[in-house]
Amino acid sequence: MWRETMTSGERMAALMRGERPDRVPVIPFLSGHAAVVCGQPIARISDDAEESFRCQLLCQEMYGHDGSPLYAYASAGGWEFGGEIEFPVKKYSGAVIVTRTPIQTEDDVYTLKVPEDVSKAGALPIALALARKQAEHGLPITLQIGAPLTWAGSVIGEERMMGWLIKKPELVHIVLDKVSQFLIKVAEHYVKEFGAERLLAFHGAATETNKLISPKQFETFSLPYLQRINQACLGLGVGSYFIHICGEQNKNLKFWQQVPMTKQTVISVGREVDLTTVMELFPEQIVAGNVDPTLIQEGRAEAVLAQCRECIEKAMYHKGGFVLMAGCDVPPHAPPVNVFQMVKAAREYGRY
Amino acid sequence: MHRDHSVKGKWVKCDQMTSQERWEALVNRRPTDRVPCLQFMLGHTAVVNGRPIAKIYDDGAESLACQRNAMALYGHDGLIMHGWANAGGAEFGGEIEFPYRKYTGAPLMKKNPVQSEEDAWDLRVPDDILSVGTMPIALEFSRLQYEAGLTVTLQVGSPLTWAGSVYGEERLMIWMLKKPELVHHVLRVITDFIRRKADYWIDRFGAERLMAFDLGIETNKLYSPKQFETFGFPYLREIHDHLTERGTAIILSHICGEQNKNLPLWARLSYGKRGMVSVGKEVAISKAREMFPDCVIMGNVDPVTVQEGTPEQVRMLCRACIEEGKDHPGGFALMTGCEVPPQAPPVNVDQMVKACRELGRY
Amino acid sequence: MADEAEIFSQLKQAVMEGDEDVAVAAAQAAVAAGVDPQRAIIEGLAAGMAEMGRLYEREECYVPELLVSSEALYAGLGVLRPLVIASGKAEKKGVAVIGVVQGDIHDIGKNLVKMMLEVNGIEVHDLGRDVDMERFITATQETQADLLCLSALMTTTMIAIKDYMPAFKTQLPGVKIMVGGAPLNQQLADEWGADGYGENAVEAARVAVRLLETK
Repeated sequence: MWRETMTSGERMAALMRGERPDRVPVIPFLSGHAAVVCGQPIARISDDAEESFRCQLLCQEMYGHDGSPLYAYASAGGWEFGGEIEFPVKKYSGAVIVTRTPIQTEDDVYTLKVPEDVSKAGALPIALALARKQAEHGLPITLQIGAPLTWAGSVIGEERMMGWLIKKPELVHIVLDKVSQFLIKVAEHYVKEFGAERLLAFHGAATETNKLISPKQFETFSLPYLQRINQACLGLGVGSYFIHICGEQNKNLKFWQQVPMTKQTVISVGREVDLTTVMELFPEQIVAGNVDPTLIQEGRAEAVLAQCRECIEKAMYHKGGFVLMAGCDVPPHAPPVNVFQMVKAAREYGRY
Repeated sequence: MHRDHSVKGKWVKCDQMTSQERWEALVNRRPTDRVPCLQFMLGHTAVVNGRPIAKIYDDGAESLACQRNAMALYGHDGLIMHGWANAGGAEFGGEIEFPYRKYTGAPLMKKNPVQSEEDAWDLRVPDDILSVGTMPIALEFSRLQYEAGLTVTLQVGSPLTWAGSVYGEERLMIWMLKKPELVHHVLRVITDFIRRKADYWIDRFGAERLMAFDLGIETNKLYSPKQFETFGFPYLREIHDHLTERGTAIILSHICGEQNKNLPLWARLSYGKRGMVSVGKEVAISKAREMFPDCVIMGNVDPVTVQEGTPEQVRMLCRACIEEGKDHPGGFALMTGCEVPPQAPPVNVDQMVKACRELGRY
Repeated sequence: MADEAEIFSQLKQAVMEGDEDVAVAAAQAAVAAGVDPQRAIIEGLAAGMAEMGRLYEREECYVPELLVSSEALYAGLGVLRPLVIASGKAEKKGVAVIGVVQGDIHDIGKNLVKMMLEVNGIEVHDLGRDVDMERFITATQETQADLLCLSALMTTTMIAIKDYMPAFKTQLPGVKIMVGGAPLNQQLADEWGADGYGENAVEAARVAVRLLETK
């Protein structure tokens, strides 16, 4: 009978070195779900570093998956620049929402300040506290460095920003510039506190979807700032990246290719992007994806297993390496048995 | 490859046997790599599958799938079964409600079949026992177990617990004092029913593949030891003896709740080729060991802590159980003292297998 | 007096280019020329938006363009609609209630659907975002709506749609229910008992019109 011969840590280390581990690694891509399986409120994942770390670790041990705890949420940026957010405490809510964006008027753009001390801005104190737990446990230390347009959306308000992309592009560029300054300062702070070699820099690119913006708009408003931030991080010595390309972004992929990154970069895609496409465009990078989160929540275990198997068979021999992952955040209330199918599939169909 | 790993100075324990190997070793009195973890887990398996709890009880195929999926998730070593505490009433014509409603976690008797003394005297074993109440579901479940190569389970009482389901517990308690002959009559009918059920299962699936189990809620919080002796024990003994005579591989008794004073009687029952006894947190593992030297003792992590406590608290309880039971000559398995609460946080349930791996190695 | 066709073309063009000022000016020109405001809306403003919808479906334009066009559309409607109402000749294909479900604040998609429904001659009552079950029911009853449209962007909040559905079925008999939002799909919509689902705003409007026609 086949058995695993590596721990999660060993498996991920092998992957990052460009070697084949014992089996396909699984990073389910979960946040709120870790709180749910611990019987805790979903908000704990984002509002309490200690609890967040504890829940994520317990959850990892239960499933036997390979993703270590991290701190990130999709609507980041709004709080850091002086807006207000709400942690997911209400019924049905599952993620942080921006309740008041820092920018309300055109004039606000000009007066928008990049926080002096990034370590005290918005959720950064919580993120840093969690990073210290990661350091303590010898785990990769993660920091969120974008994606800049998603952050700008949280600062301006997505709908307002959509209009400005056409009517007031210069205002969006000003905000993107300030956001980029901020994110680079964050990276500098992490490098100073933790050293560059253990850092894993994370982009969550949600507003960049072609369901919202055109590839041309991506090229104009996203790409330059992604390049700037990543170039700065590379300059600081940050060697590992995790880029979540959320949703429908097929037409953006050729621009993503132009973002500076290392081989130790995980490119994570949603169900809307075919793994084969990503494998062709990023031959040297680690490709991750792309089990449908809605299926994980609403489907039967057999259907989830079948889809995991399909992903594995498509991508497990990708040159740069492959990680089985959900296409986006695992739904907090997904049945645990369904989430477990990812690990089960990797053990059964993903043996090297 | 069976090696342990050191992660930052912490040993990660790896299992040397599969769940199936461990279960078979336990049943056949062979050594296991670690303390087995057997779960009394029904509704919870539906919850972690995202299914209505009722499916565990009213749908054989779904029930089996949910239980097997949960077993793969947690890595425990059993149990897989179809049954519930207040069974019996539906088979004699009562009305049952399956747990679809909010907060419900197990089947409820909506209407007991016996409402009057006349009803009680009229109670008979139905001609076709396979078609009554939930018997078709139970049979379907066992058939699927058989086809999957699993141990085939059948619920055989306990008769007194079933009587509660047939009468309503309150009426049963009053009649024990006022109309004992009526209670005995009903117990006689129930026992005959169970014997016929057992015979059918043995004939169809083979005694060597069977695990017969009774869920006995004859707690001393409800009944005196004397009442257990008079109304519970004789019928239990008859069924256990019958099963044993027919060569049943495993007989398992879940001795629910506070039954310290009933234990000497439970200990006098026969237990087939292999006996297994599950006790609640009210009965010390050491006491159970003393009473059942030859049986596998299973227990007795507090289910309420599994639902409401922290993972650390669950782990501490597991540690205490493992230390107390691990070297029992008859065998030991970690289990909750009663059913795992359906809404227990999965991470807490996971602590039990984890404790067996890390603290229960042989 | 400007040619009627010329005015319709200007209105349509203003919407497609997202030019609020031109839209208002063209609408005022229509009024001055005595053009039937109802026709100016349908053949001018709405035609422009419908064309944008087609471009969106062909991925020749994206949400920013749709939003900017909708601003021009609403600016033109601001001039023309009061006249239609005053004339008492307002025609509508039906009444809809729309909102984003409890716990969710993502409303771009909902806003686009609302606009496309209005363009198609449906009267829309917008409950906004973070709307609980009771408010949906009350508003649908009070407006005597034919159609109830629910949106959710998150996997957690889409559960609200599933939870609401049985109450809608019993308390809103005869009301058609449509659902939409990123994590949903046709299969879930069917399983949960919705009457319609739209992959995007343009399709949603098509489905809505079809539901109202078969009602």
